[in-house]
Amino acid sequence: MDVSKPAPSLLDKNHFALRRVHSLLGIVPIGLFLVNHMLANSTAFLGASHFNHHIGLIHDLPWLLWIEVLFIFLPLAFHGILGVVIALEARYNQNRYPYMDNWRYTLQRVTAYITIAFIAVHMLHYRFAHWFGIAANYGDAHHAAGGFYGFTIEGFQSGLLGLPTWVWIVIYAIGLAAAVYHFCNGIVTFCITWGIVIGDESRKRLSLAAGALGVLMLVWGVVSIYALATVDPETITDDSVETHTAYVIEAPPGSS
Amino acid sequence: MAKEIHVRIKRQAGPDAKSYWEEFKMPYESGHNCVSVLMYLREHPVNAKGEKVEPVVWESNCMEEVCGACAMIVNGTPRQACAALIDELQQPIVLEPLTKFPIVRDLQVDRQAMFDALLAVKAWVPIDGTQDIHRHAPLISPKEQDIRYLFSRCMSCGCCLEVCPQYRKDARFIGPAALGQVRLHNSHPTGGFFKEDRLHVLMEPGGIADCGNAQNCVKICPKDIPLTSAIGELGRQTTIQWLRDLFVK
Ligand code: HEM
Ligand code: SF4
Ligand code: SF4
Ligand code: FES
Repeated sequence: MDVSKPAPSLLDKNHFALRRVHSLLGIVPIGLFLVNHMLANSTAFLGASHFNHHIGLIHDLPWLLWIEVLFIFLPLAFHGILGVVIALEARYNQNRYPYMDNWRYTLQRVTAYITIAFIAVHMLHYRFAHWFGIAANYGDAHHAAGGFYGFTIEGFQSGLLGLPTWVWIVIYAIGLAAAVYHFCNGIVTFCITWGIVIGDESRKRLSLAAGALGVLMLVWGVVSIYALATVDPETITDDSVETHTAYVIEAPPGSS
Repeated sequence: MAKEIHVRIKRQAGPDAKSYWEEFKMPYESGHNCVSVLMYLREHPVNAKGEKVEPVVWESNCMEEVCGACAMIVNGTPRQACAALIDELQQPIVLEPLTKFPIVRDLQVDRQAMFDALLAVKAWVPIDGTQDIHRHAPLISPKEQDIRYLFSRCMSCGCCLEVCPQYRKDARFIGPAALGQVRLHNSHPTGGFFKEDRLHVLMEPGGIADCGNAQNCVKICPKDIPLTSAIGELGRQTTIQWLRDLFVK
């Protein structure tokens, strides 16, 4: 309409594609990663050897750092940054129009912010704590007593940032709930976005299924938190569990 | 039964003027709706304090919820004032202009953005010849006719834009009403000639990707237009169009 319009920016030209890629990344690989990550964590409930075995398999993957950067970090950064841009466009009005779907819309964005914050804390907690020298009593992951199991439990109960374990339980529970909600409600909006579900009936059915998945994942995650928070780190020794030696953070096999 | 009708109106003397609230009272009569109340106030422009004021400005035409002109916020809900019956409303009745459009004066807003959106998406069926082309009108199955009828009832009232958390004056989102009309016209045998054009418009900034699936639009629409089904359907159509653009062109 406006003939004097400036040429569209590169972002504008690819608006649709960027949004669709954002949507897709939420499911593959980020959503799949979340499911796999929770699967791995929940093996803590089964005991040290299960946990160490499962996490060991992941750490033994070839090209691990590349896999992490290409299939977790970059997609998450893309989805997270564009996600914030999208969320900033919202003009929330659930106070005026308190429909359930409107709450879901608002929560999708609120949980996005919580998830970003949680992921940052979580990475600081288990990945980069030693960079900041704040993981004195569990930070030496290479030689932690009890392998990954010992490292993870020590980390959970180490009082990082001076916070007692119960505070960490609450932080992880909130992060878990936010990520699970965001993922499960995201499955529904993904299916609307791509035109996989169209009518009201099929959308309702999908919402029920996604809700059920959410409850399942929530319970599943709580089980993992319970397992990590209730084992006494003092009882874990190298001899009590089978340890893995392949756990090297800075230089995974094949990347040197 | 109430002895009088008590209304509170959010007024504004012009596009850039400051808004203010003014109260009015009129004798009760059964059968009034918000537009007929405004008509009475136009004849008796006296506020509740007894002061003579400028008559309240608003728009209306059909008085039967088909023209869309009288959309405003009645007791917090965007709807057609002509279909808002006084006997069913809690008093004082609060009338506000729609907030997503520039205000012309009082309750009158400028919904040009909606018509610009309809133009942008070519929300019409092109004629297939100015002379006899020796063909019957294209057939549409009765089932599809029924669905199309639902979408054809859109009166561009703007209630759906009002409640949409993704739609605002200063942003590019085209809004749900135009999406419903794309769904309608794409499914017409002749209207479908423009399908690709329409989908490409919806794939630009402000198009379908800017819908956030809050689904408020479908709940407020006074004509019960299945807007979210249209959005789902267009999600599918744009997915297919995108793949075509990527792999066929
Ligand atoms: C890093 C922080 C994150 C931010 C800021 C964020 C932001 C968002 C936003 C705003 C949306 C809504 C998009 C829309 O409706 O147009 C969204 C959708 C989605 N997100 Fe996230 N997200 C984040 C992390 C995640 C994570 C960790 C997952 C996976 C578990 C995920 C999975 C999804 C899915 C599946 C969708 C639905 C896509 C669609 O509607 O088509 N997001 N995200
Ligand atoms: S879709 Fe419904 S609410 Fe929106 S403009 Fe049309 S009639 Fe009004
Ligand atoms: S579904 Fe929600 S975001 Fe999309 S057009 Fe309707 S009200 Fe707006
Ligand atoms: S006057 Fe036409 S819809 Fe109210």
